[in-house]
Amino acid sequence: MRRETLRALGLPTAAFVAVLVAWEAVVALFGIQQIVLPRPTAVAVTMVQMAGPIAFHARHTLVTTLLGFGAAVGLGLLLGFAIGASVIVHEALYPLLVGFNSIPKAAVVPLLVMWFGIGTMPAVLTAFLLAFFPVAVNVALGLATLEAELRDVLRALGASRWQIFVKVGVPRTMPMFFASLKVAISSAFVGSVISETVASNAGIGYLMAVAASDFNTRLAFAGLFVLAAMGVILYGIFAAVERRITAWAYTD
Amino acid sequence: MIQFEDVGFSYRGREGATTAVADVSLHVPRGATVAFVGPSGCGKSTLLRLVAGLLRATSGVVTVDGRPVHAPLKNVGMAFQNPVLLPWRTVLGNVLLPFEILEAHRGGGASERRAWQERAQDLLRTVGLRGLADKHPRQLSGGMRQRVSLCRALVHEPELLLLDEPFAALDAFTREEMWELHQTLRQTREFTGVLVTHDLREAVVLADTIYVMSTNPGRIAHVHPVTLPFPRRLADCESEPATALIHAMREEIRRAH
Repeated sequence: MRRETLRALGLPTAAFVAVLVAWEAVVALFGIQQIVLPRPTAVAVTMVQMAGPIAFHARHTLVTTLLGFGAAVGLGLLLGFAIGASVIVHEALYPLLVGFNSIPKAAVVPLLVMWFGIGTMPAVLTAFLLAFFPVAVNVALGLATLEAELRDVLRALGASRWQIFVKVGVPRTMPMFFASLKVAISSAFVGSVISETVASNAGIGYLMAVAASDFNTRLAFAGLFVLAAMGVILYGIFAAVERRITAWAYTD
Repeated sequence: MIQFEDVGFSYRGREGATTAVADVSLHVPRGATVAFVGPSGCGKSTLLRLVAGLLRATSGVVTVDGRPVHAPLKNVGMAFQNPVLLPWRTVLGNVLLPFEILEAHRGGGASERRAWQERAQDLLRTVGLRGLADKHPRQLSGGMRQRVSLCRALVHEPELLLLDEPFAALDAFTREEMWELHQTLRQTREFTGVLVTHDLREAVVLADTIYVMSTNPGRIAHVHPVTLPFPRRLADCESEPATALIHAMREEIRRAH
C-alpha cells in the first residue's frame, strides 16, 4: 500500500518536474522572450511576489465555485430523483435537459451579465449551470436502473413506492451521486472561471484577464498554475470522499 | 390456496397486443409446491407475477386464500436467478429487509426486532452461512449469495414462496445442495411454493405437481403429479419412474416449441 501510494504520487510529480526543467531549458536555449513564454522560475518568483493578491482572487474563485456547486448539487439531486422516480417526469424533462446541456455555457454569460451586472452572481450561476447536469443525470440513472427483480421482491412484501425509494433507491444511487460530484466540482470551477474572465472584478479568471491585457505573461501563467492546483485539489477531495463513503460499490 | 380460473394475460407492446398466457386453470393446495417448466417465452414468469399480484390478469380470476388478487399481496417471499442483494448492507441487514418493510404496517418494537434477528440467524445457520452475518455480499460466492437471497425470501415466514429459476446461475454441485436445502426448509416450515425452472430434474426433485407449458400464447399443455415421497434424494430422481418422467416432459417441451 505504502509503496503504491508513493508510486502514485511520485511518478506524476517526477513527470511534472521534468516538464518544468525542459521548459526552462527550452526558453533559455532559444532565447524566447519573457513576454511570449516566461521561464517557470520567473513564474514562481511572480507567484511569491504576488502571493497576497493571488490568494485574495483564489479565495474569491473558490467561494464562487462552491456556491454554484452547492446549488447544483441540491437542485441536481431533486431533479435527478424526480426524473428517476417517475416515468412521466423522465419523458417530459430528460430531452429538455439534454438540449439545455448542449448549449455552450459561455454563451449564457452575456445574458447573466445583462440581468445581474458584472460581479459574482453571473459566475455563481455559470458554475451552477455547468455543474447541475452531471448530478441530475447520474442520480436519475441510479434510480432508473433499479433491478426489476429487487422491485418485485419489495412489492411482494407490500412495500410502498416511498419505501422502495428510501430503502433501496436512494442508497443504491449514492455511488453514482458521489461519482458525479467530482465531475460537477470540476465543471463548476470551469464555469466560474469562464464567467470571471469575461465579466467580473475579482477571481483568478479576472486576474488573468487583467494580466493578459497588461501583457503580463508571468502573472497570467501564475494564475494558470493556481487554477490547475485548485482544480486538482477540489477533484482530489471529492474523489476521496467518494471512495470513503461508497466503499461497498468497489469490489475487492 | 392458489386458484387460477381461465386466467389470461395480454399486454400492449411495440408490436401491438401480445397474449403472454391464456386459459390457465389450476389449483395449488396449501403446503404444496408446483413447478412450471417449458420453453423460453411460455409465460412462466408471468404466471408467477400473477400469483403475487405484481401483474393483474386481463381475463379470468386469480385467487389466493379464496380472495381475488387485485393488488400486490403482502407477505410473499420471492427469489430470482439474480440474487439482487443490497451491496451496501451486511448479510444480516439484507435478510432483515422484509422486517423493515413489514414493520411499517405491522408495528414492532425493539423486542420484535430481536426476535427477527434471532430468526434470521437461525435461518442463516440452516442454509450453512453460520458466522457470515456481518459479511457483505461482495465477499460471498454466487452460491452463498443465492442462499442469502433465499433467507430473505423466507425470514418473514411467508405463506407463499415464489421462485423464478433461483438456482439457474449456480454450478451443478451447488444447485443440488440447494435442492436439499429446499427439502429441509420444507420440513421445518409450511409454505405454498411456485417454482419456475428450465431444469426438469429440479422440477422433479422439488415439486408435487409439474405443469408443462407451451408457447404462443403460454398455455398449460400437460400436468404431471410427482409421486416420489419427500424428502427426495438425488438418487430418487435418477430412479426409473423419475427418468421416464423427465424424458416424457423433454419430448413434450420439444413439441411445444
